[in-house]
Amino acid sequence: MIIPHFTLNDFLPVMPVGVLMAAAIVLMLSEVFLTSTTRTYQAIIAALASIVAGGIAVNNAFEPARLVLQGYAVLDPFSSWTTAMVCLGTFLAVLLSAGFLKHRNAERGEFYALMLFAAAGMSLLSLSAEFITLFINLEVLSVATYALTAFLRRGPRPSEAGFKYFILGAFAAALLLYGAALIYGATGATKLVEVSAALPAAFAKSPALVYAGLGLVLAGFAFKVAAVPFHMWTPDVYEGAPTPVTALMSAGVKAAAFVAMVRTFLFLVKGIDPVIPFTVFSLLALLTMVGGNLLALPQRNVKRMLAYSSIAHAGYMLLGVAALFAPKLVEAGAKVGVLTATPLTGTAQDVSVAVYKGLLFYILGYTVTSLGAFGTISALERREDETRGNTWDLERFAGLAQRKPGWAAAMALFMLSLGGVPPTVGFLGKLFLFSAAVDAGLLGLAIVGVLSSVIGVYFYLRVVVYMFMRPAPIDAPAPFRHWTTELALVTSAVLVVGLGILPGTITEWFSRVGMVFGH
Amino acid sequence: MIQTISTSHYLILAAALFCLGMLGVLIRRNALVVFMCIELMLNATNLTFLAFARERGDDLGHLSAFFIIAVAAAEAAVGLAIVISVFRARGTVNIEEIQSMKH
Amino acid sequence: MQSWIPILVYLAIASSVGFLMLGASRVLRVRAKDVPPTRELTYESGEEPVGNAWIRFHPRYYVVALVFILFDVETAFLVPWALNVRALGRFAIVEMIVFVVILLLGWVYALRKGALKWQ
Repeated sequence: MIIPHFTLNDFLPVMPVGVLMAAAIVLMLSEVFLTSTTRTYQAIIAALASIVAGGIAVNNAFEPARLVLQGYAVLDPFSSWTTAMVCLGTFLAVLLSAGFLKHRNAERGEFYALMLFAAAGMSLLSLSAEFITLFINLEVLSVATYALTAFLRRGPRPSEAGFKYFILGAFAAALLLYGAALIYGATGATKLVEVSAALPAAFAKSPALVYAGLGLVLAGFAFKVAAVPFHMWTPDVYEGAPTPVTALMSAGVKAAAFVAMVRTFLFLVKGIDPVIPFTVFSLLALLTMVGGNLLALPQRNVKRMLAYSSIAHAGYMLLGVAALFAPKLVEAGAKVGVLTATPLTGTAQDVSVAVYKGLLFYILGYTVTSLGAFGTISALERREDETRGNTWDLERFAGLAQRKPGWAAAMALFMLSLGGVPPTVGFLGKLFLFSAAVDAGLLGLAIVGVLSSVIGVYFYLRVVVYMFMRPAPIDAPAPFRHWTTELALVTSAVLVVGLGILPGTITEWFSRVGMVFGH
Repeated sequence: MIQTISTSHYLILAAALFCLGMLGVLIRRNALVVFMCIELMLNATNLTFLAFARERGDDLGHLSAFFIIAVAAAEAAVGLAIVISVFRARGTVNIEEIQSMKH
Repeated sequence: MQSWIPILVYLAIASSVGFLMLGASRVLRVRAKDVPPTRELTYESGEEPVGNAWIRFHPRYYVVALVFILFDVETAFLVPWALNVRALGRFAIVEMIVFVVILLLGWVYALRKGALKWQ
């Protein structure tokens, strides 16, 4: 029997998770032991916990990449930065929730506890290096978000959204797990490092088993990141969930699932013809970029439009993933029609560094922007309208600039950032990601990406046009004001502009060599 | 002539169960049945893990099955709570009637 | 393949017996002109059945059952731990204490929340 021997070093990557979990438990117990009527302190505890956890994660990001906990987890800058961004997203989402829940008289410690549990699941997901660990962390994150989605039990929408999310999420997890079981059967291992060592032999022996396993794992992840054609749950779930939860889902859940997917497939493609992963990810990227933007085009419901837009943004990130697999393809000298990768402009090492930088910066930019956008929407929602279903109609934004210039300016900023207009963080994210894709030789896909984001600018600017150029309706709702909501929106707005103008040290940090363990 | 049950028998059974579960999720209309089909998929996965573990004689697959059972129970608790809240809000568990959001 | 033939024959005979009996009773049965209401009832050893079989159980059962299932399944982790705890030593004991304490906190939450109260 192997007797595990762990040092404090092994627990370094899970320290942020420990903080989040401890705070979550404190919040749950505070709900049953304290009977204070004001509950803003719960939001403050949750926000502080996410700041502390994020700080530890940033500190971890400067540790060298290595395997920890007997190979069940990795400690590398890629996962630590993801954890930090998840914590940033959770911090903003918690602040948004405080005002949102107060307005609905539904402030509960459990809500914040579930958010922190979800954040812990996301952080763990980004550093899992073993299939069962991966599955458990995926479920920690998913179960918490199912409960959050159905948390507000007024009206049919939240429970409906929660149900859809639950069914498709559980379905995706089962697919992923079955794929993992098949890969375990083929290789006899569940740790990614061991799987990747055993894969070439297993592939020679039983290719069908490996292909089936890889396909199922990919399908599971594709559901989680909402890639077209596995996206159909996204609009309904995003629309029905409480808006701060939608914000957390669009930023954190997606980022964590993305990072886990990248990590898993970097290990799993060993010994396989490099054309296959490249083609699959390019196709997914193509469909998701174009599909997400086209589906968002006719939406008058702003929340639903943002849901489709989050699909499109997943597409841009998938473009980065495809770019990661391109160098291998060129080394093998393969050609695959329209999606052909042309020879690289730099070395494979340069390309992957650029891609990781692009991916992380994009995730960071999308996190702050989408939290800001959903946050503005959440402040404009009126509780009374939830049953009527026009809560998020474009008309609601008409004339906002005359009534509340500050709010309108912030929303305009977030829309421009989503559309990728300078000088916002959204523009820089797209610039880094697309130029990395071009360096990797994906000229065709990058052009498709740029063109589809031009479509995107149309529907983002439409919101701006409504806010600044349409007269306000008589019964226009005033934003619900709460200091936490305003703090969150100001923070996001500052980050959107600040990171857009002075990305400086952050991009240097993101482009450190040895970003990802084993790559 | 007595034949022993080989790993492939278990695997075929597990694959059949998994496909039944998957079909059920896709075509059944009762929320509770869909829910049970998801449990069926997870249990088929368990069977696959155990069959491979039996063939190889290692305990990794058994370990996995343990964790999957625990996670499935937690998932079932939240899932059932959601189904109940759907029923309270709508008075039905028919999936086709649970469609209030328009595209 | 040879060894499966007896099973197929067995299955064929078993299912044909069922169909034959149902078919025979359909052909041979006496058809009543008017159906007495008692004939439609479920046969319960001569007693008249009371109520409907499809009653809705009270949500209380559901909450208690769920809490039970969760703790029940978590307990399953104790068995492999107990079998190996001697070999694993102090680390395993600390780990299990952490696990049980977290579960206990969950239990305290459920208790204080009133999930276990039958009222």
